[in-house]
Amino acid sequence: MTPRFACRDVDELAGALALGAVGPDEALAAREHLETCPEPHGELRSLMGADAVLAAGAEPIQPRAGLRDRLMDSVARTPQGVVTHAPAAPGAPVVERRRGWLDWLSPRVARPLALAAVVAVIAVGAWGISLSSQLGERDRALRAVANAIAGGEVAFRVDGDAGRGYVVDTSGSGSSFVVADLNPLPTGKLYELWLIGPDGSPVDVGTFRPGDDAVTVVPVDQDLSGFETFAVTVETMRVDAPTGDIVMAGALQG
Amino acid sequence: MTDSAQPPDDQLLAERLRSGDREALGILYDRYASVAMAVAVRVVSDRELAEDLVHDAYVAVWQKIDRFDPSRGSLRSWLLTIVRNRAIDRLRGTRPTIEVGEADQQSLLRTSANPTWEAAVQRRSATELREALARLPDEQRQAVELAYFGGRTYREIAVLTGVPQGTANGRLRLALGKLRDSLNLTDAAPLSVVSDGISAERMGR
Repeated sequence: MTPRFACRDVDELAGALALGAVGPDEALAAREHLETCPEPHGELRSLMGADAVLAAGAEPIQPRAGLRDRLMDSVARTPQGVVTHAPAAPGAPVVERRRGWLDWLSPRVARPLALAAVVAVIAVGAWGISLSSQLGERDRALRAVANAIAGGEVAFRVDGDAGRGYVVDTSGSGSSFVVADLNPLPTGKLYELWLIGPDGSPVDVGTFRPGDDAVTVVPVDQDLSGFETFAVTVETMRVDAPTGDIVMAGALQG
Repeated sequence: MTDSAQPPDDQLLAERLRSGDREALGILYDRYASVAMAVAVRVVSDRELAEDLVHDAYVAVWQKIDRFDPSRGSLRSWLLTIVRNRAIDRLRGTRPTIEVGEADQQSLLRTSANPTWEAAVQRRSATELREALARLPDEQRQAVELAYFGGRTYREIAVLTGVPQGTANGRLRLALGKLRDSLNLTDAAPLSVVSDGISAERMGR
């Protein structure tokens, strides 16, 4: 059972907490205390970050020359985040917030459309997918989505100011968020995906930036069951709870 | 490269990384690889393994740059935290996780780092920082090193050094306080007096 910490407990453990030299229960108890405590806990705050000095004080050791090349080779084959990104267009307009966060949780969010509509859009090539120009991972994702749709899986409409698309529930092999003609993001911003349960609690799915293509496919690893809403916000970095504008949303039932 | 001076454009590097700029990762490597190696070697005592860990840590920075929160510390500190945590995971034979393996104490406690520590790293040479560490009493320096490079909790340090838990905890607190004072981190809040061995019973709960 996680202990409950008082201010004195946190203050006494300030050094250990700053270095991460506490057990998981104590770390959790300290965090829970700090989240609600109005006291400044100046001592702990003064010691947080001391590990930077310990790291910098270690005698430098040059890695072998080949490590840099090995790293750059690895990075060239490694996509960032949950999808391969393309740089955001500089100076792109900021997508405007249309509704408040809680508003999106209401039943007024967009309803799922018929599966046939998704199939039709893909069939006429309206999204201009250029498979040959994409990395293998994206190809596989697109194929999985196409197969899921052809196989009669469920698709939920997601739309908003930033773009429109579908969450395709490929049961048994995860889901995908397929979105067309996304608004470009301002420099330093990214899109973050959320699943929202009946109690309104958002669960972070991942982040992405739109690429150069008309269609972006983002794998969704989480099981959709138990969630009511899918939403997209604009954030500066990946966060635990949404802070930015909500630019797309859709109901996952209907 | 130097291991003590942090050029002013790490924030720009982070933004470039977020936009998928691989060259930025190369710059980050050139800037901090020798410090990252130093941390990894101190933890695992194996140069080849340390290089693997440094490689993996940089790949993690590339993959998870969207998790980097500049308000909780510098890009350098985040990188070195990943290196250190992964090295300790390897030492313990545990699998690295995003939630813990790549999170620093600021993230876990949802607090921000005192920026004066990072400022000290930027302002002072590695030699000066080592000298400040060397001036700590042996038992305090040992406690800090067991915590940071050994990944030990204060309870484990107490067992390893044969002292009460409160003493081990007090040594960590005293050591960091002395380190802060010796580096003249004047922005830090004053440290209240703690004697070795205080509250041993409480710490033993």
